[in-house]
Amino acid sequence: MTIVELKDVRKVYPLGKVEVEAVKGVSFCIEKGDFVSIAGPSGSGKTTILNMIGCVDRPTTGDVTISGKPTKELKDRDLTTLRHETLGFIFQSFNLIPVLNVRENIEFPLLLGRERVAKKEKDQWIDYLIEEVGLSQWKNHKSNELSGGQRQRVAIARALVTRPGIVLADEPTANLDSHTGEQILELMKKINREMETTFIFSTHDAKIVGLADHIIRLRDGLITENVRNGQDAAALCADLAGTSVPEGGGAAPRS
Amino acid sequence: MPVMLRIAFRNLLEHKAKSLIIGVLLALGVVILVVGNAFMDTAAKGVKDTFIGNYTGDIFVSAKAKSPISLFGMQSMGQRDATPVIPDLERVQAKLQSLPGVTGTTSQVTGFALLSHKSNESDQGFALLFGIDPATYYKLFDNAVVIEGRLLRPGEEGMLMSKAMIDKMQKDAQWSPKLGETLLLTGMGTAGFKIRAVPLVGIISFKTDSEATSFISYADVTTVRLLNGMTLGNDEDTPITAEQKSLLAATSEDDMFGAETIVSATPKAPATTVATPRKTLQADNGAWHFLLARVKSPAMAGPAVAALNVWFASEGIEAQAGDWKAAAGPFAKSIDVLRVVFNIAIIIVAIVAVIIMMNTLVISVIERTGEIGTMRALGAQKGFVRRMFLFETLTIAGVFGLLGMLLSFAIIGILGAAHIVAGNPFLEILFAGKVLSLSVNPASVAWSLVLVGMVAVIAHLYPVSLALKVEPVRAMQTE
Repeated sequence: MTIVELKDVRKVYPLGKVEVEAVKGVSFCIEKGDFVSIAGPSGSGKTTILNMIGCVDRPTTGDVTISGKPTKELKDRDLTTLRHETLGFIFQSFNLIPVLNVRENIEFPLLLGRERVAKKEKDQWIDYLIEEVGLSQWKNHKSNELSGGQRQRVAIARALVTRPGIVLADEPTANLDSHTGEQILELMKKINREMETTFIFSTHDAKIVGLADHIIRLRDGLITENVRNGQDAAALCADLAGTSVPEGGGAAPRS
Repeated sequence: MPVMLRIAFRNLLEHKAKSLIIGVLLALGVVILVVGNAFMDTAAKGVKDTFIGNYTGDIFVSAKAKSPISLFGMQSMGQRDATPVIPDLERVQAKLQSLPGVTGTTSQVTGFALLSHKSNESDQGFALLFGIDPATYYKLFDNAVVIEGRLLRPGEEGMLMSKAMIDKMQKDAQWSPKLGETLLLTGMGTAGFKIRAVPLVGIISFKTDSEATSFISYADVTTVRLLNGMTLGNDEDTPITAEQKSLLAATSEDDMFGAETIVSATPKAPATTVATPRKTLQADNGAWHFLLARVKSPAMAGPAVAALNVWFASEGIEAQAGDWKAAAGPFAKSIDVLRVVFNIAIIIVAIVAVIIMMNTLVISVIERTGEIGTMRALGAQKGFVRRMFLFETLTIAGVFGLLGMLLSFAIIGILGAAHIVAGNPFLEILFAGKVLSLSVNPASVAWSLVLVGMVAVIAHLYPVSLALKVEPVRAMQTE
């Protein structure tokens, strides 16, 4: 089941008097429950694509559909609701709220929605997530009392607390040492398997890419490879137009 | 809600320097407002109580006039017009006495006079004369304490002066009236100069003594009427002595008196009578400038004044009623002017506070761009961000507002304990007496807190508008 769909998406940023085309018309689909890596060197457009999937940025042209909902015409309020209900975020710099402790940071997204969850149920769920990310002993500590790995674990629990269909992670291991980075990835993979949550992360680390079910490689704003479980993934949404793969650069054909 | 409060409190602690800048400003604002209002309220209440209890009563009735009129006479630009007398006095007085709550009335004539020795006219002073009816006046106003002599008696001619005024005359002119001395009063009314000789029967001090009111002197109403030119012409036999008769035969009246008229307060016994009746001056016994009344409770004054004015209009009587402020005239206005000046100062301070707080909050928003972006990315609507900043601002305003209030009470307590004595008339008005004793009005304190809260809310509007412009994508851009 397709959970994310990008159709001929372009993103142009004004940079002074010139315009920079960060994404030059890409199309792809992502299946529910996949562990997806958007890989590529710096400046390839992977964070821009992640931002557009995360509804924190809009494409200049093209369509982004999340959980069957086209985002193009949505107003800020609706996009915010979509983000809250469907998406979870793990940031490169963790982005924990500094004045809140571990438990409060994890609880925070639950306080933003209109839906009221029973306190007991909510507490059990938060405790479960804290347990799951291995921070039971640290739940009353503030973020500045935690290591980088622990902070990212908090961010993972926070991203999952609203039970989103999709979790987006922007270079989640970039600020971690390799060992901690591996632990974080294993944790993400475990949650991906257990909760069937779709993980989409951007990275330029080849080792991390190896863990993904679905790999989308980018270069200079274009897709160079789109492979899912070793197969060409272009067929996932064959009707998509504008999927661009340079000559000899991958299997995703233009439709 | 609790999480917002948690975030608000912790942000206050997290950003101590900024919180302190804003907080100190707010606390200072509350101190200025509470202490300043305490000064204003004390002064206003003091002046009001002093005037109602001692000079004006609760209700003040006068004739209608083009210029503002007060117990101290007419106040027209560049000149002093004659104060008109109340028309249809008996009916007006009867109506006033019949009003609910009125406990007593009296009447008064106000005049001004130059004061001098009878023997040496070059020694002069100035007196504001309240011509009163002692029979009713002292029942209404128990304001005079006799230092020497006694109070005026009904029907008696004479005057009372304050000790403070006598001391001032001694200091300024090296001359002062003595008890029992006959003084020459020269009235400068619109009807020309009038001179009258009256004995000083008493030296008094006012219970609520202040330099501003110490120049009030009391005199019998007949004297003040004659000095004001409030006279009736009538024909009567004038008894004169043989010596006067021969003098009259030798020279003309104009040679003897010029334009001035001297009316002796203690005429000698008549020796003879001029055969031809002549027109002489006699005080108009029915002429009063003002009617003053006290009521049972201050709240009854307003309705009584309104009822009187309605009645004047319906009866076509050219009179007007007012409250103590109308009677006190410039003295009440001085408090109003002070309050206006104070309010202008408060507005200026508030504007400066808003600007400083706004700048501080803008810096805070810029520093927290990543945090705001993260919240927005996680699903916080703009309303949440707006409420979060409002909570933080109100928390600061609340915490430091209360601190400011406590500090204000402490300052007011210390000022009270310090027994600060007013050194000049301006401070006496401000202190509502000779010693500063501030009273706190709960409504003023509540208003001060509300005002400070409003300043805080206004100051946070622009920074919040900046915060609302923070896009969720900024969460991805922070390092």
